[in-house]
Amino acid sequence: MDTAKKIELLEDMFDMESGELDVNAKLSELDEWDSMAKLSLIVLMDDECGKQLTGDDIKTFETVQDIINFMG
Amino acid sequence: MTITSEFNDIVLGGICGVLPQNKVDHRDYAKLFGSDVVEKIIKSSGIQGSYQCNEDQTASDLCYVAAERLIREKNIDRSSIDVVLFVSSYPDYIAPATAFVLQKRLGINKDCIVYDINLGCSGFIYGMYTMASLLHCSNARCGLLLVGDTTSKSVSPKDKTRMLFGDAGAAAYFEKKDEADPIRFALRSDGNRYKSIIIPAGGFRHLPDASHEQTMWGDGNIRSDYNLYMGGPDVFGFSLKDVPELFSDFFSSFGMCMEDYDSLILHQANLFMIKHIAQRLGIGMDKVPVSLDRYGNSSGTTIPITICDQFARQEGKVNLLMSGFGIGLSWGVASLTIDKNNVFEITHSSEKYEGGGVSHG
Repeated sequence: MDTAKKIELLEDMFDMESGELDVNAKLSELDEWDSMAKLSLIVLMDDECGKQLTGDDIKTFETVQDIINFMG
Repeated sequence: MTITSEFNDIVLGGICGVLPQNKVDHRDYAKLFGSDVVEKIIKSSGIQGSYQCNEDQTASDLCYVAAERLIREKNIDRSSIDVVLFVSSYPDYIAPATAFVLQKRLGINKDCIVYDINLGCSGFIYGMYTMASLLHCSNARCGLLLVGDTTSKSVSPKDKTRMLFGDAGAAAYFEKKDEADPIRFALRSDGNRYKSIIIPAGGFRHLPDASHEQTMWGDGNIRSDYNLYMGGPDVFGFSLKDVPELFSDFFSSFGMCMEDYDSLILHQANLFMIKHIAQRLGIGMDKVPVSLDRYGNSSGTTIPITICDQFARQEGKVNLLMSGFGIGLSWGVASLTIDKNNVFEITHSSEKYEGGGVSHG
């Protein structure tokens, strides 16, 4: 999956407009990064990337880029 | 190898659920957590309200009322009850087991197998499995399975996950017959993840140093070691991965498929989760009853409460597939057929046991 597709999936998940998500944004400063987004990300990783995302994995994410890197 | 079991001599002959009187509108939590947060949690969990016990009302009080109702509705001879199981994470005392308190209150004689099972959200499935096994392997003829949880008593008032839980009790009556429709089980457990859902203090591991002081934990909620902790993302991941896997093993073990069942009763933890599991199993939500919007996640009782909410006092039989999953971690899938005439509507109670105090004399 290319980066553009990954960003598109994350923008959908965060309920954002196309082009709104900054890959360098710090997750701690992103209003959309709440408990619901974390659950949605677990589903997205499983459905779209075939990856099992744990709570410990989520704790290591600092920026949107970290999520994109995990998507493989 | 998946642990599976099939019984052809056990019938679920009656089931009823009891909720506390106190209704809690979860939008009232806006004062504590802010309305934005509250609306977000309600939207994602699907849980709008719940019922919570009075301070002096316990899980066994709810189960007692449910059991008395079942005994009355089904005209059960108390002397015929050979097994009493109480499944809960919220006992009356550290010891003895609460099932003995219920045996006394229900007036059930000594020729009886009585004990507790310490489980939560998977409790109804494991309780049914234990009940069926006990009846099948002894000369016992019938038993009462009592499942109750009062999670509201253990979640910190400053913990946002408080908005997910409710309290409830349920009673189910099982009889041994010469022939019966099959009751089937597939069961799994993972102690490696025991810290995912836990009340750390109150047992003997942390004595005498466990503090009641409430501090901010890593998940941003304020609680003490005496409060319930649930690691949301890990438990959610478990529910999405391990639970559908067990369904798949259940189907292949028994040569069954989703289309063989009339209805899927899932543990009512979170609507988002229920929809995803249903989607993975390829079943439409019209066959997946939801009760968590009104009652919340009442732990081990959500399956019986949902059955009562959906099927009470109707005609005909229904072939149910169900799954409970949670603390342990523990999960199970079960199937059985029940006559809807034997499903009783949910009632409310604030009754408490007046004889529960212990004299120092």
